[in-house]
Amino acid sequence: MSDRRDGSRALRVEIDQQEPMPLRGRFECAAGELLALVGPSGAGKTSMLRVLAGLMRPQRGRIEVGGQVWCDSEQCIFLPPQRRHVGLVFQNYALMPHLSAADNVALAMLHLPTVERDAQARRWLEHVHLSGEQQQRRPGALSGGQQQRVAVARALAREPKLLLLDEPFSAVDQMSRQGLYRLLAQLRSDLDIPILLVTHDLNEARLLADRLVVMDAGAVLQEGPPAHIHRAPRNARVADLVGMHNRFQGVWVGPSGRAGWGLLKWVTAASGAGDDEDMLLEVRDKGKIKPGQPVNWVVPGDGILLGAEGSGQALDARVSDARHLGEITLATLTLERNPQISLRITLAGPQRQRIANGDRLAVRLDSALVHVMPLHPRPPQVAEQ
Amino acid sequence: MDWPAFSLSIELAVVTLLVLLPFGVLAGRWLARTRFSGKAWIEAFVVLPLVLPPTVLGYYLLVSLGTGSPLGRWLLDSFDVRLTFNFAGLLIASLVFNIPFIVQPVQRAFEAIPENLAEAASVCGLSGWQTFWRVELPLAWPGILSAMVLTFVHTLGEFGVVLMMGGSIPGETRTVAIAIYDRVQSFDLAGADRMALLLLVLSLGAVAASFFASARLVARR
Repeated sequence: MSDRRDGSRALRVEIDQQEPMPLRGRFECAAGELLALVGPSGAGKTSMLRVLAGLMRPQRGRIEVGGQVWCDSEQCIFLPPQRRHVGLVFQNYALMPHLSAADNVALAMLHLPTVERDAQARRWLEHVHLSGEQQQRRPGALSGGQQQRVAVARALAREPKLLLLDEPFSAVDQMSRQGLYRLLAQLRSDLDIPILLVTHDLNEARLLADRLVVMDAGAVLQEGPPAHIHRAPRNARVADLVGMHNRFQGVWVGPSGRAGWGLLKWVTAASGAGDDEDMLLEVRDKGKIKPGQPVNWVVPGDGILLGAEGSGQALDARVSDARHLGEITLATLTLERNPQISLRITLAGPQRQRIANGDRLAVRLDSALVHVMPLHPRPPQVAEQ
Repeated sequence: MDWPAFSLSIELAVVTLLVLLPFGVLAGRWLARTRFSGKAWIEAFVVLPLVLPPTVLGYYLLVSLGTGSPLGRWLLDSFDVRLTFNFAGLLIASLVFNIPFIVQPVQRAFEAIPENLAEAASVCGLSGWQTFWRVELPLAWPGILSAMVLTFVHTLGEFGVVLMMGGSIPGETRTVAIAIYDRVQSFDLAGADRMALLLLVLSLGAVAASFFASARLVARR
C-alpha cells in the first residue's frame, strides 16, 4: 500500500508559537519509525498532534512530510486537514455514532465509487481483526477495544503519509491493550510512514517507540532513543519526566587523578560543606563542568548494584521499604552514613526474595552510568539540537 | 366546521415551515458552532417572540408594516404590495413568531454533537458541506424533526399575532384559532367545540409522533 519511491518520507517539524498557548520544539521522524511524545498532562502533546493534522494553525512553524510542505508560516503555506492525508486516531476515537463500523471506515474514502469503497472498508476492518458481523454494528454496540480497531482502520483507510495516535490505549483494559500493542507492531512493519504516538505512560512509550520526544509546558525538552534519554537526560526536569527516581544533588569538585574521570561530591540539603569527604564519587568527566559548580546527577536503575564485591564504591545501606508487586519488587534503600539519602531500586528474579524491611546490605553505584547535569539558575526552556 | 379556516391554517403552517426550516437549520447550527462577544444578544432576540405577549409582537409588526408606516407606504407605492390584513401579512407574523420554536431546538441539537466528530471528518478528507450532510445533519435530525413539528403545530394554533396582523377576513386571514374565537363570541359553542377538539387531537398526535420518532432515532445509535 505504500510506494517506496524515495527514502525521504520523513516528518520534519519545527514549531514556535506563544499564543494561544506556548508550543515550541523541533523534531524529526523517519518513515517506518515510531516516535512517542511523552510528558505530563498539559505538556502540549495533543496540541502538537493537532498542529500536525492541520486542526490548529501554528503562529510560526514549518511541517514537511515526505518532501511535501504542509505548513510554512514564512511562505504562508497551510494545508487544511483534507489535503494532508494524515491518519489520526483520536483519544476517544471520535467515531460517527450514526454509522456502522464499515461506514465509518468508508467515510475516509469518499473519493472512491461506493462499491469499491465498501469493499476496501471490509478489507481494512478484516485487517484489524473485526468480524463481518461486528463490521455492521454501530460504535455504541462495540467494546472499547473494537472501537479502537475501527478508529485505526479508518485512519489507515485514508492511506496516510503520517499516522498520529493520541493516547490510543488509555480507554481500553489491559487485555485488549496487549492485543493492540501487537496490532501496532504489525502495522509498523506493514507501513512505511512516520508514526507518532502520544502517551503519558512511559512504559508504553519505551515498549513501543524507537525514539522519545519529551515535552513539558509546551516545549520539547529532549529527543532521542529511550535508552539514551535514560542514560543522559538533558536536565533534572527530563530526568523527572522519564521517571528516573534516583536523582540527587551535588557539587562538581574537578578532575580526579585518572584521565577522563572527575570527582563529584554528593550533597544533601542537610549536609554542610566540607564535612562529608567520604561522599565523593569518581564519575566520568566530559570536561564541560567548572569546579565548584552545583549539579544534579542521576543514576539509572541499572547503575545500582547490590553486594559488596565488584567495581565501584560500596556504601552501607538499610532496606527501609520493600514492596512485592507481582513479578517485581520495589525497594527503598537508606544510606547508613546519611539517612537523608535514599535510593529506589526495582528487583526481579530470585534476588528479590532475599530483600525484606530492615535488612542491611551493601550497595554500589556504577560510576560509568552516573550522569551529571549542571544546575542552571533557571532550567532552559527549549532543547537545543 | 369552518373548513376554509382549517385549510388556511394548514396552508399557513406548511408555508411557514418550508420558509423557516432552511433558515432555522443554518441559524441554529451557526449559533451552536460560533462564539463571539455579542452572541447573547442575538440569542435573546431569537427567544424574544417566546416571552413577548403575542399582541405586543403583533402590534409592532402592524405599525412597522402597515400602510401608515414609511416601509408599508413605500411597498404600496412602489410595488403595490400590502403586508397587513392578507396572507402575506399572516405569513410574516407567523415566521417571526416561530423563530424561537425552530432555532432553539436546532441549536441544542447541533450543540449536542461532539466537536471532534467534525474534526475527525475533516481529517478523513470531508469538506465542510460533506461533513454537514453526512455527519452533522443525521446526528441533529431528531432535534430538527421535533423543531419542525413544534413549529407546525404552533402555527396551527396561533392566535394573537395573527389577529393583530390579519384581522378575521373569512377565507383570507381567518385561521382556525380565530374561527373558534368568533364562534364562541357568537355563542356557537357546538361549532367551537368541534374545531377545538380537532385542533387538540391534531396537536397532541403530532407532538406525540415526533417524540416517538426521536426516541427511536436516538435508540438506534
